[in-house]
Amino acid sequence: MFLRRSRKRALRLYFATDVHGSDRCFRKFLAAADSYEADVLVLGGDIAGKGLVPIRSHNGTLTAKVRGEAVTVPRSEEQTLRAEINRLGFYCVIAADSEFERMEQEKPYLEAAFERAIVDQIEGWCRLAEERLASKVRCIITPGNDDPRSIDAVLKAASRIESPEAEICDLGPVLMASCGDVTPTPWNTEREYSEEELGARLEKILEPAPAGNKMVVNFHCPPYGSGLDFAAELDANLLPVIRGGRPSIVPVGSKAVRDVIKRHQPVVGLHGHIHESRAAQKIGASMCLNPGSDYTADILRGAIVDFAEDGSFIDFLFTTG
Amino acid sequence: MASTSAPVGGKATTGQGLFTRQSSGLVRELGVPAATGIALASVAVVNTFINFYSGLFNFTKVDMVLPLLLAAGIWLVAMFAYRYLLRAIPRAGGEYIYMSRIISPAVGTMIGIATAVGFSYTLSANANFAANYVPFALNSLGAAFNSSALTSAATSISGTTTCVTVTCSPGLVICAVGMLVIVGLASVFSLRRIAQVILALVIFQVVAFVVLGFLLATHSHQDFVNALGSYSGKSTAYNDVIALAQKNGIPLGVDIGASLLVVPFMVLNYNGVLYSYYVGGELKRPGSTYIWASVISLGLLIVVWVGVWLLMLNTIGLDFMQAQAQVGGTSDYGNITNLQANAGGLGYGLVLSGDPVSKILIGLAVPAAEIAVDLAFVAVVTRVIFALAFDRMLPISLAKISERNASPVNAIILAVIVAIGFTIAGSILNIANISANLALFFALVLLCGSIAATALPFRRPELIYKPGTNDVDRIAGIPTAAVWGGVSTLLALFTVGVIIAKPNVFGAFSVASIGSLIVIFFSGPIIYAIARRIRLTSSSIDIRLAMRELPPE
Repeated sequence: MFLRRSRKRALRLYFATDVHGSDRCFRKFLAAADSYEADVLVLGGDIAGKGLVPIRSHNGTLTAKVRGEAVTVPRSEEQTLRAEINRLGFYCVIAADSEFERMEQEKPYLEAAFERAIVDQIEGWCRLAEERLASKVRCIITPGNDDPRSIDAVLKAASRIESPEAEICDLGPVLMASCGDVTPTPWNTEREYSEEELGARLEKILEPAPAGNKMVVNFHCPPYGSGLDFAAELDANLLPVIRGGRPSIVPVGSKAVRDVIKRHQPVVGLHGHIHESRAAQKIGASMCLNPGSDYTADILRGAIVDFAEDGSFIDFLFTTG
Repeated sequence: MASTSAPVGGKATTGQGLFTRQSSGLVRELGVPAATGIALASVAVVNTFINFYSGLFNFTKVDMVLPLLLAAGIWLVAMFAYRYLLRAIPRAGGEYIYMSRIISPAVGTMIGIATAVGFSYTLSANANFAANYVPFALNSLGAAFNSSALTSAATSISGTTTCVTVTCSPGLVICAVGMLVIVGLASVFSLRRIAQVILALVIFQVVAFVVLGFLLATHSHQDFVNALGSYSGKSTAYNDVIALAQKNGIPLGVDIGASLLVVPFMVLNYNGVLYSYYVGGELKRPGSTYIWASVISLGLLIVVWVGVWLLMLNTIGLDFMQAQAQVGGTSDYGNITNLQANAGGLGYGLVLSGDPVSKILIGLAVPAAEIAVDLAFVAVVTRVIFALAFDRMLPISLAKISERNASPVNAIILAVIVAIGFTIAGSILNIANISANLALFFALVLLCGSIAATALPFRRPELIYKPGTNDVDRIAGIPTAAVWGGVSTLLALFTVGVIIAKPNVFGAFSVASIGSLIVIFFSGPIIYAIARRIRLTSSSIDIRLAMRELPPE
């Protein structure tokens, strides 16, 4: 590989995934276009956060728990407090105690609060993309299994964002098929399907692909046993299993995704879902990538992928930005 | 999917001031018992006898109590420094990650390369340890089964020969290489199966350790003197060994200054005791769980090791242990007894044991421990090789995962080949020199972590801000993380300094030895520079982009 001559790049794609509500990571994602000279930005799912922190307002102060510690700040410091809470990708809401009690007792009410927070944030991100991205840069965001279905419409409606979920889109030298569905997880999240169902859905997405075109697949779920899918084994209580003094690590990807990649042989597979399984692996002729995620440390992990004029894959590089 | 920073799973709770929704993620619930188990399983308990022997061999007039306590103190300080690293970067991946995030990605990458090379040396060192104990194991099994064939095999396997100008033992080299090949082959199986084998081996060595402690506690000094006489076929063997040392001018007794020089070996003893930070992302209340697990582990190890040393002082006697370590390699010693000197405490256990089961346990304890450590280390080395391949420092084919058993065959082969190279090169060193090299390597790893902790509040203060403020914890105006990190850095430097300043421990510095050190510690920038140069001509992507920090604003 070292002695190969460099081919001329026709397309540079930057791929990141699993930012889980982190504002800083999303801002870095937008900055990646400039920093890495990318033509296309792809954010591959799991963009919604997982937690909502209640902020109580009292006598001109705001009180919330930040990383388990109670913090009180003057009202003027609201943005600082919000930013600090969002360091872990969490949302926050200022409301009265009675409202928080209702959230605790009524699941639908809590879910609605979450949905509002998620949609608000993504609408804000769409506006930010409009402000910050150069006109020549394409920005593609597709959902993952941790994203409520309500965000699909928000993404579709955004003028500066493309969201070709369950579709094939043309990137120039290559076509890209996207799917945020995954196989069942212990958490029973959205967009989960059995291996058979997932396989059928992926085949259906790829069906209209014209023969002879080079393909990229942007499948949130990584292929099984590929090294892109190693995660801690969990017991019945969702606790990590310890074996030989270490957490037991097992493959948790999808066999259906692996089979589809083997069958269709896209030039590149872009995957996420398993944060700690940052890896690159060739499956047949397909270079499959999972850049991992480190959003809780304000780090945006990603992958630069270059393509030649004929759509062939030139090279990739994992980034830590 | 996996690690997250908060308990999740669709629970609505204000108990922690946080509502969570139905989303994927681990539950952060590993408590103190699990974290303590992880820390203790990371320490090779029986290796203490190798390190006791290395200290007694390299220095005269040493006693282990003070070094054991001081070394525990060094780890205790490091523990507080690492607590800040754990808080800042809860999904820790070791010093490579800390240096990448806190100092710079380039420095982190270079340290990653050096770590890969250094860890390969550790694989080889453990194989050398196991090989050096094979004759002892054969003698023990010979005694257990009354087999003279096993005893003669022990003699022939440790026979030396001269290759060009160097004396080495081909039998032991073959044993070490053989062990590495076996470890490599075993590593191809699934991680789950390997973990089960490691657990069985760890239990084996702990049982052997307990049996040894029991033997030392239930026998008097006179029992040992008599037993050694009987084992050696010479009733005066005990006093003869001491007399031989005195005849050779070996000073016996205790000197505080000399004992301080053994601290690096005892630092090596505790290596692994803080490793619960490797699962920092899964710990319940990471800061306090980690501290409790580390303190309990350190406390237990102090009690066990100081206890065993005191038992050895009482039953065996310090003069004998010092004399045996110093003259154990001479032919005069061989004329007195065939008890292998570098077996140390395990050798004394063999002498005292009266039943075959104890003999088998004691004989196989070190090989079992080293195989367990190497099996675990292959996973560590391959993980570092992966990281380097993903950073494009090494060919990506090295990260290939076998579809059949999900194991990284190419990386395992590379790790074993490099380790075999180190094993053959290390065959000219004795066991104490190898311990010294390992002590240096792990002291440098500790130094990297300590430097990262010192720099943390200056380079990435936002990661450890007190909640609700834009400032970090301080003592007398100095960031607390920097205080602990600074003290830990000084102690790590002391450890490194003691090793480097004592060429009698390493052997005299030569072009070859200095070259080896350069290869290990400067391999990072060298490989980085070469990889970048080559890739600039063959790829459309400059690897410098991998380390470019993105501006969020």
